[in-house]
This record gives sequence, C-alpha cells and structure tokens, in this order.
Amino acid sequence: MRLLLVEDNARLAALVREGLAGQGFAVDWCDTAAGAEAALQVTRYDLLLLDIGLPDGDGLDLLRTIRRRRDTLPILLLTARGGLDDRVSGLDAGADDYLVKPIQVPELAARCRALLRRPGAALGTTLGCGNVTLDTAARSIAIAEAAIEAPPREVDLLEQLLRRSGHVVAKAALENALYAMDADVTPNALEAVVSRLRRRLATAGADVTIRTVHGVGYALLAPVMGTGNA
Amino acid sequence: MPDRLGSGPTLFRQIARRLIGFTLIFALLDVGIVIFTYTRQPESLVQELLTLEAERVAALPDPAAAQPPPGIANWSAARVTPRHSGNAMLIDWTRRERIAGGYRISGVRLIEDGDTPRWMFLAFDTIGIRPFVPVVLRELREHVLVPLVPLSLLLLLFNVVSVRRMLSPLHRAEAEVDALDPANMAMRLSLPLEPREVNALVRAVNRALARLEAAVITLRDFTANAAHELRTPLAIMQLSIDRLPDGPAKADLMGDTERMTRLVSQMLDLAQADALVVDALAPVDLAAIGRAVVAQLAPKGFSIGRDLRFVDHGGALAHGHAEALFRVYRNLVDNAFAHARGDTPIDVAAGPGPQFSVRDHGPGIAAADLPHLFERFWRKDRSDNQGAGLGLGIARRLVEAHGGSISVELPADGGACFRVRLPVARETAD
Repeated sequence: MRLLLVEDNARLAALVREGLAGQGFAVDWCDTAAGAEAALQVTRYDLLLLDIGLPDGDGLDLLRTIRRRRDTLPILLLTARGGLDDRVSGLDAGADDYLVKPIQVPELAARCRALLRRPGAALGTTLGCGNVTLDTAARSIAIAEAAIEAPPREVDLLEQLLRRSGHVVAKAALENALYAMDADVTPNALEAVVSRLRRRLATAGADVTIRTVHGVGYALLAPVMGTGNA
Repeated sequence: MPDRLGSGPTLFRQIARRLIGFTLIFALLDVGIVIFTYTRQPESLVQELLTLEAERVAALPDPAAAQPPPGIANWSAARVTPRHSGNAMLIDWTRRERIAGGYRISGVRLIEDGDTPRWMFLAFDTIGIRPFVPVVLRELREHVLVPLVPLSLLLLLFNVVSVRRMLSPLHRAEAEVDALDPANMAMRLSLPLEPREVNALVRAVNRALARLEAAVITLRDFTANAAHELRTPLAIMQLSIDRLPDGPAKADLMGDTERMTRLVSQMLDLAQADALVVDALAPVDLAAIGRAVVAQLAPKGFSIGRDLRFVDHGGALAHGHAEALFRVYRNLVDNAFAHARGDTPIDVAAGPGPQFSVRDHGPGIAAADLPHLFERFWRKDRSDNQGAGLGLGIARRLVEAHGGSISVELPADGGACFRVRLPVARETAD
C-alpha cells in the first residue's frame, strides 16, 4: 500500500508517517499542493491523505482538480476544520472520508483500510476481524483458520458486517445487500438471519460479537483487548 | 421582565403640564390687559354698567321696585314708552357727572326689541369702584374665559393625538430593541421616515449596533481561530504521547489531551453555533439523523458497556440544518453517557412530528440544578473531569437557531429526558 500524505506541519507529518508505517502502510510525504501534484504525476498511489490548509493553497482546490481528471483515487481529508458545513463541503468536493484533527493512529489506519477495501480498490479479498476471516471471492468463512459452512445469506451478512467492523451497519443497508429488490422481505427476516449467524459463530468459537443497536442496525465487534481470552 | 414604563413623567404629561402653565399665564395676562384697558377708559366702563343694570332691571316683573345693587345710591329706574306710538324711537344715551366720591350716572337703554320697542331710564350715583365689579367680571368672562377654555381643551386633545402619533416610531423601536439578541447580531432597527429626530436616534442606534456586531464577530472569530489553530499542536501532542512507553504517566497525558481536544472542539462548536443562522431551510428527516447519530455513537457505548436504542415514532420531518441537528443529538447523547453512570441504556427517539428526545435511566437531575443545565461552562461537579460544560449550551443554541426549543423532563420512573421541539415544517409554495 502506497499512501501520499499532504501536510504542511513537518512534525505532525513525521508522526503520522511513523504511526502508519507501524500499521503496514508506506507513506510518502509532501508539504505543498504543488508538490502533491508533482508526486501524483509520477507515482501511482492507492490513497491520498490531504490536509485542507496548505501554504500554497486550499487542499479542497487540489481535491477538485484531481476529481476533474475523473481520477477515482481514494482521498481522506485530514483537517483542523470541524465546522458545521466543513465536513459536507469536503465530501461534496469529492473526498471519500473526513477526519478532524487531532487524529489517533488506530482510527486513521482503520479509515485507510476501509477506503482501500472499497470495490475497485486494490486491497485483497480476505476480510477479517478477531479470529474470523472471510474470503469474498470463495465465499468461505474461517474461524481460527478452520473453515465452517454457512448458507449464502449468512455469508453475505457477515461480509457486510466485516467490511464495517466496529461500526454500526444500518438495517436498511443490510436488507439491500441480502435481498433482491423485488423480494418480499418480512420485518423479522433479517433478525432471523442475524440470530442464526450469531449462533453459528458462537458454536464455532468465534471471538467476535454481533451487537444489536435497536432501531438502527447491527455492529460486529472485535474482542475487547485486555479482558482475558475467555 | 424589563421595566416597560420606566420612571419619570411621560412626554404627554410633560407637554400637558406646560400647556396648562402657559394657558394660566396667558389668562393672567389677559385679565391684566382687560383691567388696564377699562381703568384707562372710565367712559366705556360707565356705559357697560348702565347696560348691565338695565338688563337686570328689565328682567324683573316690576322695575320700579328694583333694589339697587351694593354701592349705588339715589337709585331710580323707570320704563319709558314713547308718547306717540308709531315710528317714534329713542336713542340710547349715557351721561356721567362727577359728584363727591363718585359719579352721577343716567341714561336710557333699549330693553325690548321687536314690534313695540321699550326703553328703560336709569339714574343712580356710584360711590367707589364697587359698582363696577360686575362689569369687570362680565368682561373677564367674555374676553378671557370664553376664548381660552375651548382653546386649551383643543390643545390638550391635540397633544393627546399628536404625541401618540409622533411617539409611535419610538414605541416600535422600543419593541425592536427589546428583541435584539447577541445571537442575531445582524438585526437592525427599522428606520421611521419621520420625525427626523427619531430617525436620527434610530440611525445612531443602528450605527452602535454595527460597531457591537463587529466587536462580537471579532471575538467569535478569535475563539474559532484560536480553537482551530490549537488542533494541529494537539494532534502532534497526541501522536507524540502515543509513542511513549505505556505507564501511568502516559495514561494521564492521554486523558489530558483528550479533554483539551474536547474543549477545543466545543469552543469551535460554540463559536459556530453562535454564528449559525438557519435561513435557507432544507427539509431534514429527524429519524434519519437520529439513526446516524446512534450508529456513530453505539460503538462508543459498547466500549463502556452502554446500550443505545433508537425508536422512530413517525412523522419526524422538519426544516433545518442537518449537520447542526446531528450535533444537537450527539451532544445530548454525550451528556447522557457522561451523567447516567453504570450500564443503563440510553433511548433516542424521533417523532411524533418535528421533535426528538434523548432519555437516560440514570439518577435524574436535582431540582436545584435544573436552571443551570444549559448555562455555558456549568458543570454539576467541577471536580470531575467530564467535559467543559458546553455541550448542552451548544445544543440549546443550535435548536434556538432553528426557532425550536429544548426542554428537560424527569419521568416518574427515573432518569432524565431531553426533548427538542422544532417548528412544524411548512410546505413551501415552490
């Protein structure tokens, strides 16, 4: 994974680079919009981390220039601007995600991975969380490296939850992913699939949990660190 | 409650008082002029006295038996009828002769007009000025009282009507000044076309408002810029602390930077909330925003063992700023996380209608704390390290920018429920 970080504060850039390197990312750095343009011309990056306030212009202008070229390069805005309209204007300008400073390396790395997992992105097809892995191409689930059988609908569900592990996935989004448009989905159908998958994962010894957020959706949670290996 | 009437007399009363004063001075002046005029002209005074007495006597059934008024001696009065009926006419005449201590006055007056005119002959002596008093009084009544009283009344009426009308721009300006709010500094008083004095005052107030607005905006921008500029050094601090070896010192430093981060974010939020003017209203789905907030904050809840639940009661559509309403929800949920300890769930609900609520099942809120909940920088317990006490203040400011209201309810079965009501979304014509 090759990332380009555009950030005018050298100390912050060094810390971010070091942090992301620890998570397995190779990060190039430049401190101006012009430098970023030049770097993008010569290197194929998988992800751009862009600060909005740059010495030679607004990061949003660079963002728009890239999008005008129909370049689908995933872009994560890193900014000190957390205003009411800043996030919306950043996303409207074509950013894929938006992170307000100060930033924590685990959060930043997770967001980067999420962007790289997107369809069309360069990342591989194995999703994982805790001791659960899912091969999106082979449609197979493994728990602690032991393959288990599951009906296609549960595999689909697990894939959706794994793609956003640690986050809540809306019920409507899951229903859209699991059922065809014209399918007659009863309100409890999804619930039934979730509880079957829960049981299947638990019996197979998975250390992840699927939590219900009433009225909103479901979230797949990794095992909590430091609470023992019960 | 502002002192609507203030102290001191009203303008109407002041003008009325001056008018009455001037009227009295004018009346006194008039009296002086009447008295002065007659003392300089005894001839006309005598004529008037004779006329007055003739009228008095003529009204009596028997003129011959008429008693003389005080101060008059040698009184004689008689009706005179011309000897030759027909066109004979007598002419009014008056004669004045000086006698010791006064005048001898005699004369004839026409007392009855019409088909058979009648005259009255009078002759009497006056001693001193006493007999002339009724004449002077009558003159005063006719020349002072009769013209001045209606005129004064008219002026008072005019005062009532015109003062009211003249002051109406001031009343309107007063209402507008009362409505001024630091939250909406762009507001100005509407300029009356007249009177020019009020117009000038309103212009001056508007100029002062413009200066105040500039000062407030400078301060707000300063807060926003300061908070903004603090973020990059904070990010550096946080990442540097992350690299330190684990230990109690690192944990403390991380806690401190987290609190600073939170405070900086809230200062920025507050500055923006103060500046937020919700004008171009977009339709927003409060239920969708509620779901998004719950989805975003549920993982934080999981990490501290708290469940977030969402219920949609339906019809929760409003007009507003989606991002701002998102922060209102988020601040209320953060507040519930902070103040209802333990593993009690937090219930977020949208609807029915343009409202939403966040309810916790914690210890509730003491009655003494209720008035302070939305004050900026107010915290129930200053020694704990939860936030800066800005979250609810920001939420209220954002809700008020929407023309809505935020209130807190204490359900009978415990906990606290913050409810936000927004104005009913109106269908726009286009």
